[in-house]
Amino acid sequence: MSAKTLMRQFLSENKWAYVISILAIIISNFINVQFPHILGRFTNALEAHRLNLHDVLVYAILLFVVGVVYVQFYAIGQYRNGKLGREFEYLLRRRLFAHWEVLSTEYFRHKSIGDLLNHAMNDIRQVREALSGGLNILTNAVFLLLATLIMTFTTVSMKLTVVSMIPLLFIPLFIVWFGPLIRTSSRQVQEALSDMSDLTEESLSSIRLIKATANEDVETERFRAKVDHIVHQQLTLFRRSATFQAFIPTMSSISFAIALLYGGYLTLSHQIQLGAFVAFTLYIGQLVQPLQQIGFVINNFQRASASLTRLQVLLDERPSITDCEQPIELGHVRGEIEVNLPSFQYADGQVPALRDIRFHLMPGQTLGIVGRTGSGKTTLVNLLPRIFDPPAGTIFLDGHDIRDIRLEALRQSIAYVPQDGFLFSTSVGENISFGDANASREQIEEAAKAAQVYDDIASFPDGFDTVIGERGVTLSGGQRQRTAIARAFLKSAPILILDDSLSAVDMRTEKRIIEELEKVRQHKTTLIIAHRLSAVRHADLILVLEHGEIVERGTHDELIRLDGIYAKTYHMQQQGEALRA
Amino acid sequence: MSTMDSSADRQRRKAGVSSLGRLLPYAKPYVWQFALVLVLVVIFNASTVMQPYLVKVAIDSDISTKHPNYHGVLVIALIYVGVVIIGVAANFAQTVLLQNAGQNVIRTIRLSLFSHIERQAMRFFDTRAVGRLVTNVSNDTETVSQFFTNFFLSLIRDGLSIIMIVVAMFELNGRIALYCMVLIPIIFAISFGFRGQLRRAYQTTRTRLSNVNAFLAENLAGMRIIQIFHQEERQSRAFEELNESHRQANVYEYRTSVWFNRAFEVLGNIAVAAVVWMGGGAVLKHWIAFGTLYAFIRYIQQFFQPINAMTQQWNTLQSSMVAADRIGQVLAVQPEIVDAPEPVKVNPENVRGRIEFHHVTFGYQPEQPVLRDINFVIEPGQFVGVVGATGAGKSSVMSLLTRFYEPQAGDITVDGISIRAYAQADLHRIIGIVQQDVSLFTGTVADNIRLFREDISDAKVHEAAEIVGADALIRRLPNGYATQLYGKGSNLSAGERQLISFARIVALNPRILILDEATASLDSQTEELVQRGLHTVAEARTTMVIAHRLSTIRRADNILVLDKGRLVEQGTHEQLVAASGLYAMLDAESGVEAGTRDTRPL
Repeated sequence: MSAKTLMRQFLSENKWAYVISILAIIISNFINVQFPHILGRFTNALEAHRLNLHDVLVYAILLFVVGVVYVQFYAIGQYRNGKLGREFEYLLRRRLFAHWEVLSTEYFRHKSIGDLLNHAMNDIRQVREALSGGLNILTNAVFLLLATLIMTFTTVSMKLTVVSMIPLLFIPLFIVWFGPLIRTSSRQVQEALSDMSDLTEESLSSIRLIKATANEDVETERFRAKVDHIVHQQLTLFRRSATFQAFIPTMSSISFAIALLYGGYLTLSHQIQLGAFVAFTLYIGQLVQPLQQIGFVINNFQRASASLTRLQVLLDERPSITDCEQPIELGHVRGEIEVNLPSFQYADGQVPALRDIRFHLMPGQTLGIVGRTGSGKTTLVNLLPRIFDPPAGTIFLDGHDIRDIRLEALRQSIAYVPQDGFLFSTSVGENISFGDANASREQIEEAAKAAQVYDDIASFPDGFDTVIGERGVTLSGGQRQRTAIARAFLKSAPILILDDSLSAVDMRTEKRIIEELEKVRQHKTTLIIAHRLSAVRHADLILVLEHGEIVERGTHDELIRLDGIYAKTYHMQQQGEALRA
Repeated sequence: MSTMDSSADRQRRKAGVSSLGRLLPYAKPYVWQFALVLVLVVIFNASTVMQPYLVKVAIDSDISTKHPNYHGVLVIALIYVGVVIIGVAANFAQTVLLQNAGQNVIRTIRLSLFSHIERQAMRFFDTRAVGRLVTNVSNDTETVSQFFTNFFLSLIRDGLSIIMIVVAMFELNGRIALYCMVLIPIIFAISFGFRGQLRRAYQTTRTRLSNVNAFLAENLAGMRIIQIFHQEERQSRAFEELNESHRQANVYEYRTSVWFNRAFEVLGNIAVAAVVWMGGGAVLKHWIAFGTLYAFIRYIQQFFQPINAMTQQWNTLQSSMVAADRIGQVLAVQPEIVDAPEPVKVNPENVRGRIEFHHVTFGYQPEQPVLRDINFVIEPGQFVGVVGATGAGKSSVMSLLTRFYEPQAGDITVDGISIRAYAQADLHRIIGIVQQDVSLFTGTVADNIRLFREDISDAKVHEAAEIVGADALIRRLPNGYATQLYGKGSNLSAGERQLISFARIVALNPRILILDEATASLDSQTEELVQRGLHTVAEARTTMVIAHRLSTIRRADNILVLDKGRLVEQGTHEQLVAASGLYAMLDAESGVEAGTRDTRPL
């Protein structure tokens, strides 16, 4: 459902709530304009010496009642609108997250998280602002203006009102023209500030180099330039906003002077009474406010509409990977994999990322994939759980084209350990049981033991309940990888993919994990991507990829005999380890 | 917020008062500007207070009298406009002047904070997160600037405005003015009461919103994991919880603020009604003229705004104090390593490059030495290798030679003079290091090579790049030497980054060169290029290589072998192999061909 539909639906569902709050504001406006009127009548009575002390009290009570009641009505309308707007904000965010959850990886590859967050935070807030504060102000401005005009036309003088209002009409025009200038300026200030932060961070992160090259003064100069730029931008902003702040009182004072002159003349020539004159000077104040607000509200609605359009685009995005018409439900998965892939190209790619990849894995077998960075290893294993979609009829699981299998069932049958060992900032235990919320503590501990991370976790302040990232608990690269492996072990799926997930683990631990793997996954299919060849040595089949193609294939022994890239690399790594150990 | 936090907050605020005081000297050069602002504020306030008074005069002496005087009304209207324009102009000038002064104060604070941090010894950075320091420099200073602008302005403008209104009221009629004074404590009480509540509500909302934000950031990054593990529903529920709790706080905050603002408005209206009641009686009894009552009504309406504004600034004051305290804590740290009062004068280009370590013992923690009683001499122009297992203390040797840290015992000399006698800047011009992790800056490739120094010409940059074999590679980049590098050089490969760091050191032309496992991340082809370049560079200067692979240093004039912080062997490759000690063992393990080729995993 798109953002605009969502908004329309929300508005129509809550239309009575909105009617009530808008009515409340309108009522408050019409009560509000009685305030100067009563003061005017009080003035007239006072001038005419028609008053006694008791009447004065009555007028005071009247003013008191009007003053309290209109504020009450306005508060009701304002609060209700604000609450509704915040409810919509909440709905929109919920909708957005649910939407992101169904979008494919392809989509996230092209978006920066910062941009997406910007939509979720600022665009949504902007829409909410229009729907709560903006609506309040708009209603208030329109009806207060209307009510004030009605009052001045009927109780004071139409001519006086029209003449005095002329300078005020420039206020909304000025705001619509000048408001965006101020916003641009304020954005430039923000940019200048973040430029300075970036430079500071860059500089302090490289402090060793800076010190070692006696470059402190050069850095201070670079910093000075950024700071000077901030000062310059700040002063531009303040000059602009000072101009802005000067304009409104100037216009309203001219208005007031006209009211004084013309109103004074009307009073002197007895065309209006002193009370009407006094009331009018108060009404002028009530005219300034809504006219000012109309300007702001126009700017506010413009921004909100741009935000809504951006959200619209975001929510219109369709997931590129979905179930086919009649997806196959997998029952028991044996884990037989057949790949017969002539070519695979990313949607935005110029050349195929993979070419002529063909192999067949029987249930329980282990496949090793090696090759340089960028040779297509990760791309290949990402096709299996359909993180990226392979062409139809190229990859089969238990004899079914994976594109025909229900996506949920397909992914259910695969456990995956990503390259970066991505973990959530929840407790270690929750991370390991991420695939199964009902896993018991024993299961979690068992998985941790198999992944050789149990001892590490036990040494954390709260063991498995230690929250990652809290109280300074940060995991090393190796600990992250092993925790991610434990998470995959716990899922205990028929197929396991390790995407270079042992790179930060030392040799000895790697060996133990591999042994564990062979034991636990005897009858299950495993795919291992590795840089260190020791991690794939035991595999039933090893593929060596280069530029997206298989250049060598076979078991470890076969490849050593072949004496090609694999054999050369193997020897070199054996030697390299000797010094490192 | 927990009680523990708020008590810590109070503590910090207390410390903040004196910290703010310590920052005040930064404002001293601008004292005249601040004084002028004060004058302008008085003018502005006077113009505001004058306005109702002028209308009162018009009513009492020109309109509502027995002898109406239209000419008088005209004069007053003109004066009215004049007064407003003077007020507006004063306000404009005041804003620009004050911001100019305030921004310059903050500029000075930022500069001294930054250069203060840069002057600190390495140990300072070992114990502090960079992010924290960045916050000190950018956010905390920004918060403190609020003190010099908003808080200062509010204090004088709103304070004066209250005083001037009170004075004007007493001028008009002491008795009614006295009654009105009852309002002041009430307004302050309500304002402060609500403010506290409002601030807490605001903080809760903000915390919860940042939870929502953090959750989204993390889950967007891990969306693939969520989808593969098929946990969309679970994460949706988790999000729902955060989203809902934010909504509740958000609505509560809004309700509090509506309450607050409307309560203020009601109070204002009640005050007007009260003035009408008291003043109306007074007019009846002919104690005051009607115009005076009118002026009272306007003054009582004007009264609320400054009080409201002042209580708002209370928050500014508090956060400024906390920020000032954090800045103060950084500024209070004296650099651990400082130059000698009168450092030796030296021309870095004329240094011969003889290095001597004399009974050097060092530990990052004094009780855990990582180097014990190290003695060695490197003659000018020698090429020396340092080998040993991870943690043997190789890198510490480098850190001591560059005086990043001071040894606990012993001395290090360059050309026979203790490095403590040199100015650090000179020492760092004499010694150049190339680290394993290359620091790159946002800027062009050329700027990264010359490190933004203006005294290094383009020609010199190109020459340096050529020497290390980076020239051809750089010219292949989209804009050659003018190619813009982004955040940590992410648009370059590891090898390219490393080459730039070599070119950098060649351009700086130090007499002593230290390479810290520098060639580890190069592929074989690039490494050959670099090796060749480095040998050219090394020829004319003293070079120390902290070796990862023994092949790099096989031809070294001398090899230092470290083991658990002790120098256990030294000599040439042949001598050390003949001695069949630790080096010989390492050498045997590494194999004949090791290191001459790329040992990087495939």
